[in-house]
Amino acid sequence: MDLVRAHVLVCGGAACVSSGCKAVREALEAEIAARGIEREIKVVVTGCMGPCDLGPIMVVYPEGVFYKKLTPDDAREIVDEHLVKGRIVKRLLYTEPGTAEVVETQEAMTFFSRQERIALRNTGVIDPLNIDEYIARDGYAALGKALTEMKPEEIVDTLKRAGLRGRGGAGFPTGIKWDLTRKAEGSPKYVVCNADEGDPGAFMDRSILEGDPHTLLEAMAIAGYTVGANQGYIYVRAEYPLAVAHLEHAIRQAREYGLLGANIFGTGFDFDIDLRVGAGAFVCGEETALLASVESRRGEPRPRPPYPAASGLWGQPTLINNVETYANIAPIILRGAEWFSSIGTEKSKGTKVFALAGKINNTGLVEVPMGTALGDIIFDLGGGIPGGKKFKAAQTGGPSGGCIPAQFLNTLIDYESLKELGTMMGSGGLIVMDEDTCMVDLAKFFMQFIQDESCGKCAPCRIGTKRMLEILDRITKGQGREGDIELLIELGEHIRTTAMCGLGQSAPNPVMSTIRYFRDEYEAHIRNKKCPASSCAALFNSPCQNSCPAGVDVPRYIALIKQRRFDEAVDLIRATNPFPAICGRVCDHPCESKCRRGTFDEPVAIKSLKRFAADWEIKNKHQYRADFAPPSGKCVAIVGAGPAGLSAAHYLALFGHKVTVFEALPVAGGMLTVGIPEYRLPRDIMEFEIEAIRKAGVDIRLNSRVGVDVTLDQLKTEYDAVFVSVGAHNSAAMGVPGEDLEGVLPAVEFLRDAALGRLVKVGRNVAVVGGGNAAIDAARTALRLGAKEVHIVYRRLRSDMPADPAEIEAAIEEGIQVHYLTAPTRLIGADGKVTQMECVRMRLGDFDKSGRRRPVPVEASRTIVDVDTVIAAIGQSVDTSFAGKPADGQEALLMTKSGLVITDPDTMQTNVPGVFAGGDCVTGPATVIAAIGAGRQVALEIDKFVGGAAWQHADVDVERVLVGTPIEEQCKRCVMPEMPVPERARNFKEVELGLTEDMAVAEAARCFQCDVREP
Amino acid sequence: MGDVTLTIDGRQVTVPAGTSVLEAATQAGAKIPTLCYLEGLNEIGSCRLCVVEIEGAKTLAASCVTPAAQGMVVHTNTRQVREARRAVLELIISNHPFECLTCVRSGSCELQALAESLGIREIRFEGAKAHHAIDDSTPSIVRDPDKCILCRRCVAVCEQVQGVSAINVSGRGFDSVVSPAGQLPLNDAACTLCGQCILVCPTGALSEVDSTRKVWEALGDPKKHVVVQTAPAIRVALGEEFGLAPGSIVTGQLVAGLRALGFDRVFDTNFTADLTILEEGNELLHRLTTGGTIPMITSCSPGWIKFIEHFYPDMLGNLSTCKSPQQMFGALAKTYYAEKAGVDPADMFVVSIMPCTAKKFECERPEMRSSGYQDVDAVLTTRELARMLRESGIDPTALEPASYDAPLGIGTGAAVIFGATGGVMEAALRTVYEVVMKKELPSLDFREVRGFEGIKEAEVVLGDTTVRVAVAHTLGNARKLLDRVRSGEASYHFIEIMACPGGCIGGGGQPIGTNTERRLERIDAIYQADRDLPLRKSHDNPEVKQLYEEFLGEPLGHKSHELLHTHYTPRGIWPKR
Repeated sequence: MDLVRAHVLVCGGAACVSSGCKAVREALEAEIAARGIEREIKVVVTGCMGPCDLGPIMVVYPEGVFYKKLTPDDAREIVDEHLVKGRIVKRLLYTEPGTAEVVETQEAMTFFSRQERIALRNTGVIDPLNIDEYIARDGYAALGKALTEMKPEEIVDTLKRAGLRGRGGAGFPTGIKWDLTRKAEGSPKYVVCNADEGDPGAFMDRSILEGDPHTLLEAMAIAGYTVGANQGYIYVRAEYPLAVAHLEHAIRQAREYGLLGANIFGTGFDFDIDLRVGAGAFVCGEETALLASVESRRGEPRPRPPYPAASGLWGQPTLINNVETYANIAPIILRGAEWFSSIGTEKSKGTKVFALAGKINNTGLVEVPMGTALGDIIFDLGGGIPGGKKFKAAQTGGPSGGCIPAQFLNTLIDYESLKELGTMMGSGGLIVMDEDTCMVDLAKFFMQFIQDESCGKCAPCRIGTKRMLEILDRITKGQGREGDIELLIELGEHIRTTAMCGLGQSAPNPVMSTIRYFRDEYEAHIRNKKCPASSCAALFNSPCQNSCPAGVDVPRYIALIKQRRFDEAVDLIRATNPFPAICGRVCDHPCESKCRRGTFDEPVAIKSLKRFAADWEIKNKHQYRADFAPPSGKCVAIVGAGPAGLSAAHYLALFGHKVTVFEALPVAGGMLTVGIPEYRLPRDIMEFEIEAIRKAGVDIRLNSRVGVDVTLDQLKTEYDAVFVSVGAHNSAAMGVPGEDLEGVLPAVEFLRDAALGRLVKVGRNVAVVGGGNAAIDAARTALRLGAKEVHIVYRRLRSDMPADPAEIEAAIEEGIQVHYLTAPTRLIGADGKVTQMECVRMRLGDFDKSGRRRPVPVEASRTIVDVDTVIAAIGQSVDTSFAGKPADGQEALLMTKSGLVITDPDTMQTNVPGVFAGGDCVTGPATVIAAIGAGRQVALEIDKFVGGAAWQHADVDVERVLVGTPIEEQCKRCVMPEMPVPERARNFKEVELGLTEDMAVAEAARCFQCDVREP
Repeated sequence: MGDVTLTIDGRQVTVPAGTSVLEAATQAGAKIPTLCYLEGLNEIGSCRLCVVEIEGAKTLAASCVTPAAQGMVVHTNTRQVREARRAVLELIISNHPFECLTCVRSGSCELQALAESLGIREIRFEGAKAHHAIDDSTPSIVRDPDKCILCRRCVAVCEQVQGVSAINVSGRGFDSVVSPAGQLPLNDAACTLCGQCILVCPTGALSEVDSTRKVWEALGDPKKHVVVQTAPAIRVALGEEFGLAPGSIVTGQLVAGLRALGFDRVFDTNFTADLTILEEGNELLHRLTTGGTIPMITSCSPGWIKFIEHFYPDMLGNLSTCKSPQQMFGALAKTYYAEKAGVDPADMFVVSIMPCTAKKFECERPEMRSSGYQDVDAVLTTRELARMLRESGIDPTALEPASYDAPLGIGTGAAVIFGATGGVMEAALRTVYEVVMKKELPSLDFREVRGFEGIKEAEVVLGDTTVRVAVAHTLGNARKLLDRVRSGEASYHFIEIMACPGGCIGGGGQPIGTNTERRLERIDAIYQADRDLPLRKSHDNPEVKQLYEEFLGEPLGHKSHELLHTHYTPRGIWPKR
């Protein structure tokens, strides 16, 4: 016998077959042979190991080193390095998506360590084609025990006490089902395995069939003995050729070993199994349809009762379970009911296999105890959402299930909890959606699936699902009508209650649950003809324009830049955004995260292109060309000269109205001027853009505080309309002791004073608390004002920080230290001045409503650090003093408890007629571009209100033509040139330098121009 | 299985276990709408109109397929139930052409009636409609899949009653369509054209090929001598089309109505039915005495003939070579009668009023041109005749009864009973007995071969010989009988087979609404008509005697062979391309 010193397990699951594991294994074996070590190294091809997107996968024992995404060359390298020289090939190891930690062994990977494998105990571990490997892992011992030591009643009793429930989705207690079939009158009886897995995104059964076929045969034989059947059928779909081949092989082997056939274990019990290969109709997963198909009849359901236990195959009592249910049988028989029932929740025992799919880092198969939190599965085992995108919802139960939004990530998954959320366990498909998924489109996808798979027997499913699909289709095409949501709900309810089988009854679920949790998205499609996720292409020109709060026509100005028509480009931007130079520098560019190019290589550098066009305008003293409407005779007052107010002022002036802006500060620009430091947004750029607004005829009155210098009531009487855009200039308190010590500053004030050139003193050691852009701005400003050390203290992880990642990166480059999972608990002072800050370590607990893990303090982890300045950047609120006390008989402005002004989202009007509001004072602290968008929108609304005509021409269709050919090969985006760190760290010079003309034109050519549609 | 007691709409009702909730509700006095349901035949719960609320159930239940259970509490008329039924019906109608005004089933359409009774006034669920081409490939049946609501009653009757399975559902979901295998035209399928599917179709998806235009044209052509024959079964069914009770005998009114329509001569297929008995009786005796192929099987039913040609081509030798009475009539009309009446057969137009859609196919068979012309020019079903009468403003039931014209209008009671299952057998036995025994029958009624049982058997002692006979109606029963004969399990001398349940009185051309009860009423009427006639044995028909004397010579003679006998065509199950 050879002395094998290492086993190499190569995953041979269907996903790894697709990603090329065969070539990797051949290379591996060839190299092993070439090295002459084939007697020392044993290569085993296993079934699916689970982490499917990491394939081809290899695990090298005895160490258990896990290698991923292998090529044949990698395999050769592993032989040379690992198997010959004993050196682990580091570059092929796995990296934890959450912590970016490199992990050597399989068992150290969170993906595996968090699992509890019962059904999958052999899958990915043994060679599925070798019955001896199955037997070596206690295979067929349960059958032996059942036949020789247990009476059928005892087996039923064991299953009942174990609490195993059907893993096909409905969760019927398996023990009861076996008992019913056992007690049913009639002979012969049959045992059937439902291996007709058809949910999109579900592949648990396939993996077991491929990776551990004998577990099924053994369980079916036990079932046959228990219920009194001598014949079993496995109904498997033809789309699973590997599963079919492995099953056929396993049945042959089991027969050879006497584990199937006559007189098994000499007990006189006969049992055999045959395969039935189905043509792949989803409805054949419904048990009566499946049985019809086994009988060679049209695969469609029939009414129940009678249930198969009483009248199944050819009218005989028939036990039917799914693959995963059977895979749990042998361990329960061997290890006992108590062991099994100790796992899971009160009503759902054992484990459940989930197939993770969709927008998740680790797609693949996991088996976890019932009662594991949904968020743990997605973020711990699944590694979270790729590309830094936000989790939106998870779909369980496939087309029969529903979606679970972020606020339910803490749900402990079992049959009952999922049902309560309006979805179901189903067979275990878990599809993860991120912010880019449109929930209406998702519902449409599933309804299309159901339409394709409806057998057509009963009218509600055959016609009703078609009608639902048609309604969804028109909604996604912008042809939705008022009442469509109600019609969908009504239809869905009727289909649920009247359809014949489970497929039809559950068919409306994806629609019903998306309406339940994302009704606003349906409404946006129907009322505003807008797809918030930028997915329904019929509703927008391009995803970038659609995601821009100001609706800037991005692809067209990029096309103009590509043609070096820079003047036209900047005019086009200005048509919807009067601040191109500002936004070119400080916009948070939601457009880039939706850029289609981003799904291919990297998003187009839209922000940089905008800045280029705007800088070109300034440099070339280009005069903005716009059509001014003749004077309307109407006058509008605007409270606050921030981006919302000035944007509104600009367009109202353009529409012919006389605009007066009242600004409390001595400068215009609001947060742009007093919130954003100069190194990001130079003052002369600000001046240029504000001057353009003045030139348009807008009267900006500085140092005019509404509520003090003039009252809101006065404005209401003197002007035809008033727009309130006061922003959110108050700082939120940290709520820790010592906050009133000297040296503790709110970030807003700190930045404002710094911007206004007031005397601001920072100490040596500065701590900034918070994770938003204000925190980063404050930290970098403090550094520039002479701080020796600047620390940012943030209570969550870097990936949770709301600040622009590029800003975080720049701050770190400048030497600012960021402390994650840390929060201040106490500020300690001496002589009234802050001297120390006590901090506590945080750990991430359960999930909050936004879908982020909630930070929880780890007690006994307190540390005290020396500080002399603490800047709190944890939130802003509205200074509501502008509203004043209304005069007698005048209506008070309605506000939320936290001081936000309440408006009608469609008209942007407040409860006081003629008074509009927008920007941060309505939404709470948001982005510059959101404020600009609100300003333009309110200008149109006010124009409509005062009887203007401009609002009617706001949306004009233009012809969209392809300009040249977009670059279709992979091509990285241009990098913004920056001032080197040593030159910038201690001054307020602009850090980003702007693109050159050639860079801009080249970058513009990367745009796919997805606004131009095929004719 | 004992009885179960359940509560329906607050009323307790006790029914045998296994009874459906629908049946139990009916007993409790609740009226539940149904559409796909056909008692005992199509209980598949596919239309979902009969949903009811059962306390404790997660969904509504289709009452037609839900067994009543002990202690069950059922509500048949809650708001949820009514709204669900309306929604389902709206959905069905949303995929149905709005062609009621021009539809052949307007007024007899179950979907239309349901829409009215459920008060459907608008369809809120508009959308795409499934579309499949009209199939008018056969001479008998037109399929319009767009009007089909996929209730599958036709599939059930074709499979379970007729054992033919010419049609089934193909395609899936919204694209489902009832059609022959491979969505071939019906003419390429092993369809017997019996038309039973039409009788059970709730809408206009299945109908007969309309021949009324052709007949109107002939009637309007002054050059044409238009004669009409009426099958025995018409006289006991036509009344239903004009509001009379099932089983009303309207022989005289039928004749009067046909005269009113303008036919030049109104004759009776009974004449050739009597003739058939003489030819077929003699053929049987000939086979019995000369060692011919036994059992001999009747050949009057064209659906049955097509069935055996498709499914039992090896047994075609067992068929009597006699043409059906319809075709014997056609052949004689254009020869014997034409000569007598001095009409050029080229100018003669022979119309049949038949209870049968397969007769339309039969008259077009190439074998059926022994007069030198197509022997029968047009076949009208009972329904088509009723339509022509209505179109002309003629209510035959209001007319003075009239008599058939001679000579081809004279028939005996033996001919009338051709219309019911067992009738041909009984008529044949009446004649054969007297021919063989050379003495008068003590009783004319052979009760063993009467009645609705699927397969009936009898033995008749003819001197030294005991003749074993069997009678089957429906092709499903024919299949059972033939299998037993083919396997040697049973042996007979003579077999009567009729394609349709109850025989011709239940034919596929009979009034919509034909069901078992109506069939039984019509059968009773047939035997009444037999009793009412002075002559009840075919060999007593004086005009038939005269025919032999003047024209044919003797049964099975040379002229008979030319005009009254035929041969058959093996067809197989799969279409020939």
